Amino acid sequence: MQEGKVLPAAQINRDLLRSILETPRWFWPVVSLLGAIVLAASITVGIMINTGLGITGLNYKVVWGFFITNFVFWIGISHAGVMLSAILRLAKAEWRRPATRAAEVLTIFSLMTAMIMPIIHTGRPWRILYWAFPYDFARGIWPNIRTPLVWDPSAILTYLTSSTLFVIIALVPDFAVLRDRTTGWPKLVYTLLAMGWEGNPRQWKLQIIAGVLLSALILPVFVSVHSIVSWDFGMAVAIKSWHSTVFAPYFVVGAVHSGVSAVVFAMILLRWAYGWQDYIRHEHIDALGRLLIVVATGWFYFLVMEIIFGIYGLEGDELAVRALQFLPGDYGVAYNVWMIVFVGITYFLPVILWLPKAWRRNLWIMSAACISVNVGMWLERYLLFVPGQANKQFQTFTWNDYLPQWPEALIVGATFAFVSMLMLLFSRVFPLVPLYDIKEGDILRTEMQVGRRTLTATFRED
Amino acid sequence: MASETQAHPPAAGHGHDSHEHGHFGPEMWVIPEGPGLVADVNERQRTTPGIWRVVFYAGAILTILGIVGFLLKAFTAGFSDHRAWGFYVAAFAFVFTLTASAPLAACAFRFTKSHWRRPLSRIAEIFSLVSIVNILLFIPALIALPDIGVMHESGEQLVRRSIWFQELVNPSGWLLAGMIGLSFCSVAILWLAALPDMAQSRHLVTGFRASLYGRLAGGWYGTKRQWQIQKGGLAILGALYFMMVVFVQFLVVSDFAMAMIPGWKDSILPPFYTVISFQGGLASILLVAYVMRRWGGYRYLIGQAPFWAASKVLLGLTLLHTYHLFAFFITYWYGRLEVEQAILNYLMFDSYIGIFWAQLFFTFFIPFPILVSNHARREGWGAPLAAIFIVIGLMLWHIRIFAAAFAAAPAVEGGLYYLPSDAFSFPALLLPVPGATFPDLWDIFMILGGVGIVLLVFRIGMMLLPPLSLWEMKEGSMYQRVDTLIRGRYLVLAKPE
Repeated sequence: MQEGKVLPAAQINRDLLRSILETPRWFWPVVSLLGAIVLAASITVGIMINTGLGITGLNYKVVWGFFITNFVFWIGISHAGVMLSAILRLAKAEWRRPATRAAEVLTIFSLMTAMIMPIIHTGRPWRILYWAFPYDFARGIWPNIRTPLVWDPSAILTYLTSSTLFVIIALVPDFAVLRDRTTGWPKLVYTLLAMGWEGNPRQWKLQIIAGVLLSALILPVFVSVHSIVSWDFGMAVAIKSWHSTVFAPYFVVGAVHSGVSAVVFAMILLRWAYGWQDYIRHEHIDALGRLLIVVATGWFYFLVMEIIFGIYGLEGDELAVRALQFLPGDYGVAYNVWMIVFVGITYFLPVILWLPKAWRRNLWIMSAACISVNVGMWLERYLLFVPGQANKQFQTFTWNDYLPQWPEALIVGATFAFVSMLMLLFSRVFPLVPLYDIKEGDILRTEMQVGRRTLTATFRED
Repeated sequence: MASETQAHPPAAGHGHDSHEHGHFGPEMWVIPEGPGLVADVNERQRTTPGIWRVVFYAGAILTILGIVGFLLKAFTAGFSDHRAWGFYVAAFAFVFTLTASAPLAACAFRFTKSHWRRPLSRIAEIFSLVSIVNILLFIPALIALPDIGVMHESGEQLVRRSIWFQELVNPSGWLLAGMIGLSFCSVAILWLAALPDMAQSRHLVTGFRASLYGRLAGGWYGTKRQWQIQKGGLAILGALYFMMVVFVQFLVVSDFAMAMIPGWKDSILPPFYTVISFQGGLASILLVAYVMRRWGGYRYLIGQAPFWAASKVLLGLTLLHTYHLFAFFITYWYGRLEVEQAILNYLMFDSYIGIFWAQLFFTFFIPFPILVSNHARREGWGAPLAAIFIVIGLMLWHIRIFAAAFAAAPAVEGGLYYLPSDAFSFPALLLPVPGATFPDLWDIFMILGGVGIVLLVFRIGMMLLPPLSLWEMKEGSMYQRVDTLIRGRYLVLAKPE
């Protein structure tokens, strides 16, 4: 299965540290452009806070729009890290190696971005303090800890903490390599971060045990985060189409679907940007493509369950929401068209593109498929949240629709620029492909003669 | 780099060296070499150890008990009142759950190229034979299932929710077609997977088996093209079977459980049932493999490694089971809707509270610590021990869900059980919450019969077909060697595309 050749350790160091020790010409212009977009969005946030949420399309009926959609989207992207790093590490999938670091880092940055969204969405961000502290000590009005809206930040912060720890543990050996190859204040910083790493057997043993333990411990957090995010919606009985028992696993699988797709796209970009063709190879993209077929199909199954059992109840007000989602009508916004687009680009198009092996190995096709998934998954959240709030119930005064305005579009668009900028800046100071993991993979790699064929083989510890 | 291939089967049960070789010494991983394997397995199949006779006779006796129970139930209760058949449906669903997913394990682990699967593949596939019995068991359940609609003077009217929506008659034809399709597909997988083994064994066996192998594998010569077709066919059938299993399970649990309890609208139940089915299927495979290894004379052919590896998958499925249960519970409990509280009280906290907690202990609280323990998993007994608890727990789960569902609502005129006149406007309620239902003697006979028929058919399958996937084991022996890395000896595995 494994392709490519075993490279000397010195060359691995040289190649993978190139992004840190040399600066490509495109780097600062691209970072500046992304920074400008983020700055524009920050100014817009300032205007919105000053003016009020009235400049957005949110209204008395549809109170959760673009921002909450984007929040759930980025939480979803964050699930790539644990999926690729922890689960594939435990499963000892050799092809995981070049993808783990990028996935873990993407987890951290997307979590950070996701957490910004509800803060902006509050309109008056300082008031989020009331989630944690009493509204007024004298009146004894305490936060309601029984709401998923409080469980949510707790789970996300736990996930952020453990993911950061996970990345740092995995980075320690690479910090030591950087310590030995830099001078001046960078050396000082890397020396501190390397925490005296010498690469002796005891340190390696501790590092491996820590990695495995964290992998196992982070899994429940990984599942709980998006489950709790789903319960922000699933616990609400008032909004029809939200109160569904399948939401938790549906959200988790959807998160893995979008997260892994995002990592694949990020890997393809990194391969192109830094010339890492020897490390991020077609076989890795191919394997991730096969994994994505399975994940996408699982996600599609949950989607079908969610829809079928929404209709199954034959309850009038829920049927009205489903009609709004699926049937053509004079509703102002053609949700049914978006629904067709969403299912097409999230499942059918990418899976068709992933099925032939030759297409899985074509980086252009894989990029298109992965972008398609993520556009679709963003739409999925939107179509899940908004029609339920804009529903056509029997009391017409409760009807309303939602048309996002430019501030929301700009802020949401800027979150993509923000994450891209953070990833690029990270790659400037830390290796985005783990050096030690690649070297370990090369050490464990060997060959075996079977009949007339020479096959690549791997040493297995258990 | 010095290399050597394992030349002889390792001595049975020899231990591990956790200092040099990780959790196992490599000898525990290595599959014995090809030459002599076919003759050896055929010989072991011919000389039947006592345990297999016990399994056969126990299966036969329990099956007869089940048939007696069924006949007496049919004569005493008839099929007009569905409530009399709850335990029968639970027994059927239990057998179906465990046996339908077992062949999938062979397909799934073949798809992921898991080396350790090789001794387990055929065990998983032989469960396909039980799927034929599933069709027979399914027919009475279909007859007992109440209609969706009733004829009134004003015309036909929907009387209960159904995934078939406006179809007002029992969709028995579709359900039966699904079950037959599933059985056909699983038997096709078994045949295709066993083809090379039957071809190779046909000259080594005599009597009925020689004739059977000659008919079933007559055209197999092991050409490259035949191998390509066989492997491609297994992949396609595996994918098809996976989709069919999930679909038929969705139909069974929706029509025979959810639709029977007024007001129960639960989108997680079908995936939950599928997870349970995977858990039960793997547990069953591990139990059979352990019996074969421990008492059946296959100790050196089935090492500890399959248990070590499969137990991790079983741990994952056990956690998934509990996760789905919690997702269902928390959504209903938090929602505070009257209809949902009634269902929680019925299935979990009031009527069936005892069986609920017993089931939770058997499916999670007991197997979880066993499966988490490296020691228990490594020694080979941990996974089968957990599997026993899981299988018992799943039987309780089926009784709690299916028997309770059939007993939830009373029969009314025309043999129909439930008539929410305003079903389109408001969810039907399960109020007052009914009490628990208990099995009579014939129900107990039928449940035992369900277990018995699985044992009997499986044993017959083992007598007829090579009980180990010989070609996969030979293939595995080609893709492995023991080699030195730095100061340790390790297993080296090749994974061809």
